[in-house]
Amino acid sequence: MRYLSFFISEALIGMKRSGLMMFIAIVTITVSLIVFGFFLLLSSNMTNLADFISSRLEIRVFLTENVTRQDVEEFMSRVRSFEHVKSVSFVDRDTAWTQFKQNYSNIKLDDLVSNNPLPDTLKVVMTDNQHIQKTAEHIEQHTTYVSDVTYGGVIAQRMTAFAKWVKIGGLILVGFLTTATLFIIVNTIRLTIINRRDEVEIMSLVGATNAFISGPFMIEGLLMGSGSALLAVVFLRFSYSFFAHRFQEALPYFPLVFKSAILNEIYIFVLLLGALLGVLGAYISISRILKKVI
Amino acid sequence: MIRIKNLRKEYPNGLVALDNIDLRIQKNEFVYLVGSSGAGKSTLLNMIFRADYPTSGDIYIDNFSLSNLKPSQVPYLRRSIGVVFQDFKLLPRRTVYENVAFALRFLNYSRSRIRRKVSQVLELVGLHQKMHHLPSELSGGEQQRICIARAIVNNPPILLADEPTGSLDPDTSWEIMQLLSKINARQTTVVVATHNKGIVDDIRKRVVALDKGAIIRDQQLGAYDA
Repeated sequence: MRYLSFFISEALIGMKRSGLMMFIAIVTITVSLIVFGFFLLLSSNMTNLADFISSRLEIRVFLTENVTRQDVEEFMSRVRSFEHVKSVSFVDRDTAWTQFKQNYSNIKLDDLVSNNPLPDTLKVVMTDNQHIQKTAEHIEQHTTYVSDVTYGGVIAQRMTAFAKWVKIGGLILVGFLTTATLFIIVNTIRLTIINRRDEVEIMSLVGATNAFISGPFMIEGLLMGSGSALLAVVFLRFSYSFFAHRFQEALPYFPLVFKSAILNEIYIFVLLLGALLGVLGAYISISRILKKVI
Repeated sequence: MIRIKNLRKEYPNGLVALDNIDLRIQKNEFVYLVGSSGAGKSTLLNMIFRADYPTSGDIYIDNFSLSNLKPSQVPYLRRSIGVVFQDFKLLPRRTVYENVAFALRFLNYSRSRIRRKVSQVLELVGLHQKMHHLPSELSGGEQQRICIARAIVNNPPILLADEPTGSLDPDTSWEIMQLLSKINARQTTVVVATHNKGIVDDIRKRVVALDKGAIIRDQQLGAYDA
């Protein structure tokens, strides 16, 4: 405890003495952590969007023209018995055509097409979208009833792939940013140590252990890293809340992440990373300097 | 107390700073290391408190071999050896009190104990009235006294002084030597590296003369010159 208060007061003295350098370092680390946090938020939203799209997937089964109502009922109950199928509903070709015309009311479809070109359709909703492709293929094999099968799998797969690439890209960028942030911290602390090299040397000559000499610099790193992280989190929190609400107003159905548990997890991660990088950076630079001081 | 055995220091450029040094310094002894600049006095002192390493040979402090000393043990050796540097090595932005207290910070002493010990030692070196001054506000002799106070504040059994009068006028040099004699009288082994002929001749003690890295004379109550 006695050591800790000494370390803290020495760290504060050190930070005060190298004020401008410390300020520049804190700003730089804060910006890096903001970019870092931004990518975490973006990646979290992309995953959320992919999940959202997947959860809305359904299979459209176009029936052959010559099936009777009884055949349809029989086929529907068979499909219902398939694994991962939640519900099956029938949309007859007249209702489908009316809906289609309503959806595209700006086009005079009756002038262009004389007869209803749509077949009777089944709408199959899944419980688990991972199996959507297999189920669709399975349904397609019933050629007596089925003329064609479509599902939103391509979009979902693309979305998932996109979210995955955002994640990978984000991770690579985060890797670079982490290294860059560490580099900034190592060099800033190194400069403050060089500034106080005499002090380090004298401490060593009068019998201070390496752990004791390192203490104030480690605290300095911790304060610098966690201070920057705190600034970054405050910025991310307010700007995310501001922009997400604006975005939501413009696109009300877009599934943005608003769950405080997920967001807090991201903010806590940024905070911990800042603190960890601060301590690690200080440790690397003080170890290097101590090797040179006898 | 200090036993130096067949010590040799050769730098990578081939320069031999010390060669075949054999020396035994008893407990509570006062020894002058004399010789011209480059004779190897400072190098020898640096070896004793492990600020430098010998190429071969060994140093024993209370029968403990320094060649067996692990790097993590060096701080503990240094706590038992006070060192007075020619260039003082004071922290310019700390007061006299803080400079001396600095050497006690890592000993896990309470604040009141640190205060008491620093006050006592500043009294001894005659700087009690100036404890809140910065080193730059003091004379060279006073700065050297801070350095001595810092070296002896935790009562080390050995005190090494490297040219403690190197940059001081004769009167101040005399005062510093009186102070070192006083510390020696308090059961501290004192080794002083100096080329101050007047001091060595006036305050007669054991003299170990070095030349080109070798001991050329070891004489009880000796003078600077043979």
